[in-house]
Amino acid sequence: MTTVAMGSSETAAPVAHWQGGVSPFAVSWQKLMMWIFLVTDALLFAGFLASYGFVRLASPAWPEQNEVFPMLKIAAMTFVLITSSATMATAVGAAHRRDLKRAMVFVALTALGGLLFLLAQATEWATLIAEGARLTHNPWGPAPFAAFFFMITGFHGSHVLIGVILLTVVALRLWRGRATGMGVEVAGLYWHFVDVVWCFIFPLFYLL
Amino acid sequence: MERITPYRTYWLVWIVLLALTLSMIVAEGAPLARGLVVSFILLAMLLKVTMIGAWYMHLRLERAALILSVVLATFVTAAALFFLLVPEAISLPQAGP
Repeated sequence: MTTVAMGSSETAAPVAHWQGGVSPFAVSWQKLMMWIFLVTDALLFAGFLASYGFVRLASPAWPEQNEVFPMLKIAAMTFVLITSSATMATAVGAAHRRDLKRAMVFVALTALGGLLFLLAQATEWATLIAEGARLTHNPWGPAPFAAFFFMITGFHGSHVLIGVILLTVVALRLWRGRATGMGVEVAGLYWHFVDVVWCFIFPLFYLL
Repeated sequence: MERITPYRTYWLVWIVLLALTLSMIVAEGAPLARGLVVSFILLAMLLKVTMIGAWYMHLRLERAALILSVVLATFVTAAALFFLLVPEAISLPQAGP
């Protein structure tokens, strides 16, 4: 920290504070960077869902989700994602206890959950494309329905894919004894965010 | 985050999250007033997000400065988008019922 000449004790405290003497959030830089990224990413999804809501409310008709989507499969995908969040939280807890073997097992289970989710989503996309759904065409009515479906679930799915890759790397690093508790926790924050986004997409797109 | 959360807590939260998800699916098909169903599903959705943030992302163990920065930045912006766009969408002549 740069030394600053102080004229009095009144000016010393705020100068020390704003030069980094006190950490206002009291978290590591890795965690803070991840939180900043997650907030910006959340705003992006908020924009997507808000535009979806606008078009949905402004449309004279909208397809019945029960007739378009296999709800049992969507419920199973939701179950897998929520369970993967629980396994990820367990992995973070294990990493903080320095139980790296348990952390590795639970990170690997989380990645497996993400992979299952992606496989289910890929088959769902394939089914809808086979039935004629495109970015510019929707066989069940207004075209924006299919466009929003592919855009929102595709963007979320790409996050899941990145998460699976990230978790695989973390699991390998844990296996080699090179991962830190902070590394596992930061990866966990990202994975829970993916689950949080699905908590919005599932009811807003598939249920209501 | 300094305190260690027991493993059991994570799995109790998991049970509650699954129960909330199941109740949302059941509510969607229930023969109730549409406004009631929508309100319940949105409330359950927000409860799920809060639980994941608090227990899985450990926000409840962080300083108020971090919690407020995250929650206010996202929810105030999302709420502003919602309240600016919804009245506009409903007022359009071709809007649905």
